[in-house]
Amino acid sequence: MRVGDIAAGRAGDKGDTLDLSLVACDQAAYELLCKALTPERLQPLMNRIVPGPVMRYEVPGLRALKFVLPQALPGGVYASLHPGLHWQKAAIWLLLDLHVEDEGHTLLAPVDRQERRP
Amino acid sequence: MTHQVCVLGAGAGFAGDRVDPAVVLARAGVDAVVLECLAERTLVPAIRARRDNPQAGYDPRLVRRLTPLLPVAREKGCRIVSNLGAANPVAAAERIARLARELGLPGLKVAAVVGDDVSDRAAQVRWVREPGAPLLGAHAYLGCHRLADALAQGADVVVTGRVADSALFSAVARDRLVPGEDALAGAIGVGHLLECGGQLTGGNYEPIAGAGLPPPLSAEQYASLGYPLARVMADGSAEIGLPPGAPGIVDALTCSLQLLYEVHDPSYYATPDLVVDFSGVRFETLGENRVRMSGVRSKGPPPTLKVAGFVDRPGFIMDCEIALAGAGARERAEVMAQALRLRLGDWADGDIAVDLVGAGSVLRAGSQPMQGPAPEMRVHVSARCSDGEQAQIIEDEVYAMTLSGPAGGCSVRSEKRPRIEVLDGFIEHQQVPTQLHWSQS
Repeated sequence: MRVGDIAAGRAGDKGDTLDLSLVACDQAAYELLCKALTPERLQPLMNRIVPGPVMRYEVPGLRALKFVLPQALPGGVYASLHPGLHWQKAAIWLLLDLHVEDEGHTLLAPVDRQERRP
Repeated sequence: MTHQVCVLGAGAGFAGDRVDPAVVLARAGVDAVVLECLAERTLVPAIRARRDNPQAGYDPRLVRRLTPLLPVAREKGCRIVSNLGAANPVAAAERIARLARELGLPGLKVAAVVGDDVSDRAAQVRWVREPGAPLLGAHAYLGCHRLADALAQGADVVVTGRVADSALFSAVARDRLVPGEDALAGAIGVGHLLECGGQLTGGNYEPIAGAGLPPPLSAEQYASLGYPLARVMADGSAEIGLPPGAPGIVDALTCSLQLLYEVHDPSYYATPDLVVDFSGVRFETLGENRVRMSGVRSKGPPPTLKVAGFVDRPGFIMDCEIALAGAGARERAEVMAQALRLRLGDWADGDIAVDLVGAGSVLRAGSQPMQGPAPEMRVHVSARCSDGEQAQIIEDEVYAMTLSGPAGGCSVRSEKRPRIEVLDGFIEHQQVPTQLHWSQS
């Protein structure tokens, strides 16, 4: 199941920090995301794209998870060598496009580019 | 049950935002329209402009933005609060008064809030790291109180430089709230929710498919998106909505996403007036595009004010790209990217990036796989350059691919960006006195 099928999201930035918010569509989805999207599991996936640690805050009243990556945007968005300005506004798809499963155990996997390439 | 004390509208969420939503909100009868027009870095060109001309340094879009708004605001008795004063709020206030005279609106009282510029106290700022180069400028984030004083003294328009975005809103509510920090914290929360304009009402938002939510907005709806308004209650809670008939989506999901936007610890969001706690916020649906927000709490005043300092680094970032089209565009683009890496081998790995636009240049290793051949592709080079000559070399090498690279290199474009670094710091409240400067049409 794709994260984006059970949650909406938005990316923001302040200085070197990237922040990613997810809001789950219902309580079951929220609980699944809490189990699947642990900072320990996310960090190696995120570090394929951005550097530094991943911190997580839970906001159960809003069924929301908040991910904060304090070193992800070194020098701020204007120092980025991505084409054009503000690539980080699309960074929420790094989470929305992950896959989570919950059949006795929890799994988290990115789309595999090599496998899926025609 | 608490009673409504004011209606606030968010007419702009950044300097380049649309002009017309503010006019729609003023016509709808809000008590004040807030125009948030000053991102962190927007101050940099303003500081430079003021250096060249002491009468400049405010938002250059001031006249275009306020010309359609001032007459409607006058007719409806709607206040305007904006940070479009940027690096020169006094000059902005004088320009607004002059614009009001030109529009035949005498007696408009415009207050400029002065004091955010702390460049002369940079040594008293605790920077998170050493600036390491001369500062172009340093501005403290002001709170709502001097703005609220201006409104209490009869200002029709309040114009500021750097203030917390949420303070532009809480300033209007301050004197109408019940006593106590939680009510002001609520108004700050409302301001935080509204400060990005259309991002609260369905902009930059994709509903979850299959969750029974309203469908994504249509092109026509995005093109005439309504910007948000908030009916603020005396206890700092609020009803969030849209102007009558304006398209958009206001539901618990859009509100939750915007509440958490650019917040780090949701239980500790520091603003100049109060540290606010969003962890207990509730969004309750009252009807179509009507959501009640409550539960923002105060954690007391923050120990210091935040300062944004700007460090001028020599050189540029050069952004340059070239297109390939027709059958085999992808393959020719990959060869061209590799040829450019060979030509630009003088640049260290961390100072240059060569990407294929259309094949993962934005999310890189996190991109979706490409399906089928691309009808066209762009090869993009971004490089840190120590001076203009280096930047020219980047552009020239990309251009030279039109003659000496794979067939069909075309549609070249390039942009040279200055290298400005934003540095955070903290300063004691008492080091940042503020005052009002009045202009009248």
